[in-house]
Amino acid sequence: MQGADQTLPDRLRRAASGAVLLAFGLALLFIAWSYPVGRLTQMGPGFIPRVVGLLICALAVAIIVSDLLAEAAPPPGMVHWRGLVFVGSAILLFAVLIEQTGLVPAIFAAVLVSMFADDRARPLGALIYSLVVTFGAWVLFILALELPIPAFWR
Amino acid sequence: MLDQFVMGLSVALQPQVLTYALLGVVLGQLIGVLPGVGAITAISLLLPVTFHLDATASIVLLGGIYYGSQYGGSIASILLNLPGTPSSVVTCLEGYPLAKQNRAGLALFVAATSSFVGGMIGVAILVLAAIPMATIAVRFGAPEYAMLVILGLLAASLIGTGSQLRSFAMVVVGVALGLVGADATTGFFRFVAVRELADGISLVSLAMGLFGVSEIIRQAATRTAALNTPTIQMRDILPTRTEAASLAGPMLRGSSLGSFFGALPGTGAAIASFMAYALERRVSRRPQAFGTGHLPGLAAPESANNAAAQTSFIPTLTLGVPGDAVMALILGALILNGIVPGPRLMVDQPQIFWGVIASFLVGNIILLLINIPLIRLWVLLLRIPYQRLYPIIIVMICVGVYSHRTSITDVILTLAFGILGYLLKRYRFELAPLLLGFVLGPLLEDNFRRAMLIYRGDFTVFITRPISAILVAASVALVSFAILSALRARRKRPKPDRAERTT
Repeated sequence: MQGADQTLPDRLRRAASGAVLLAFGLALLFIAWSYPVGRLTQMGPGFIPRVVGLLICALAVAIIVSDLLAEAAPPPGMVHWRGLVFVGSAILLFAVLIEQTGLVPAIFAAVLVSMFADDRARPLGALIYSLVVTFGAWVLFILALELPIPAFWR
Repeated sequence: MLDQFVMGLSVALQPQVLTYALLGVVLGQLIGVLPGVGAITAISLLLPVTFHLDATASIVLLGGIYYGSQYGGSIASILLNLPGTPSSVVTCLEGYPLAKQNRAGLALFVAATSSFVGGMIGVAILVLAAIPMATIAVRFGAPEYAMLVILGLLAASLIGTGSQLRSFAMVVVGVALGLVGADATTGFFRFVAVRELADGISLVSLAMGLFGVSEIIRQAATRTAALNTPTIQMRDILPTRTEAASLAGPMLRGSSLGSFFGALPGTGAAIASFMAYALERRVSRRPQAFGTGHLPGLAAPESANNAAAQTSFIPTLTLGVPGDAVMALILGALILNGIVPGPRLMVDQPQIFWGVIASFLVGNIILLLINIPLIRLWVLLLRIPYQRLYPIIIVMICVGVYSHRTSITDVILTLAFGILGYLLKRYRFELAPLLLGFVLGPLLEDNFRRAMLIYRGDFTVFITRPISAILVAASVALVSFAILSALRARRKRPKPDRAERTT
């Protein structure tokens, strides 16, 4: 049955999510260990972080155990690399450009790049649509909502 | 109470307030219809705008978006089998089969009326509970607040979908993220890796990242099946008399469940709708009819989520404890306007308190009136492919996050949380508990520390003070119930059954 074909890599893969959580808990404890803990009646800023860190580690161990014991979970499927790369770069571009060039160019760049997260996007169509969206955003954010962000570089 | 409500109504019917209510509910319905844009995105985007409005108008607008989105969420569920909001997932189960039987008009009509009934009952309970809650709230000290938050966090991890262990872990991770920044009591900087984090992680970037960005990463290349939007015959939207009569029970049960889960911090509209559907199936004489377009299965969850959307304002307005992320944002808007929600709000600023509540009544009536006539417009909007929509959502997220605190770090953090949310979802971790832990964590720490300071580290204070004792009892009951039902489920599901499910 299930147990027979459980190879080592398969087990490792299943324990991965809990292990990452455990690493997070340990990192939290490591950083917070130097914070003043205080006493129960006069808790310092390090008291709760320590409790939280320990709790996360304990829960992570419980999750690893239960994932190893449970029936094989459905495989998580393909990673959406295209979405990660293009949506990620779009938002990063916005962050980089917003204070350098102002709102309108930042929006244009973000929209144009994000369009390619869809594998069937065509350059010309994406360009035209980005211009349309940017114009709409300019009307909404600058004219209608009057957000206090410069529209262009000065 | 009644005269106060009438006073509130006079506030709600002022042209300016009425305009914002109308704007809020229409906007809410729109974002509810569109899959991938939630109330959180819309409300965070409008947060900077509420600087220019007075407190009443802000809450009327943002509240309208929230409950308006509950109405709108059912439309995409029924017509496309695509839930517009998390709380309309179960609406698909009965609504979409009805649409396939060319009874979409009927389904939309029943959803709208159930939503209205639920919303009205929710408002009524909000009105009735307000004064008693405020009197109790005055007696809330640090131990009570701490225990209420613990109850909320337990409810968020134990009630609902997904693994309880994983949800609980997410709550604690949320609390951990809430620790970032200057400690409220001592001003000590915790986990401040970059200077911008001194004020803590922004709720807006966390929420938009977890729910907005992660969804776009997952969905950007996915194509929805070709839209064969059914033609809606306006003449057969009305249920027959027997059908209508069979809906009273489900609506009432759904509204009661929804009102309860809405008022309980940690659970909200989404859980309420799931619970209402499950309950309806259990009490039904024809459980086999569920899933085939059974009207009671549509009416119960739709009234539940709308009732919950209204009663979730009870802890927010009377105690200042937000039950979910949307409420936390609305609370934030109040605080930005210099208003501290809590027991004093009703006494000190009754015109705001009752004006907001009365506007919910007005808003629900507006929603009922505009729902059916606007359906053609929403159907038109649903024809827009997601590939045209998500670049716009990205713009809204970027501008919303950036304009909130004028911080580039927040924008980059939003992306980080988006990737985090994408990965967590991939490994079957629920995201809502994380957000709730983040929202309630600082409240818990602050009140727990204060309770320990005041009562000299004496833990018995939590069970000797009556209100706190009730909250502790409720938490214990919740945990025991969760353990019991987990054990029962394990016994019920013998090994052969398990093997069958994996194949």
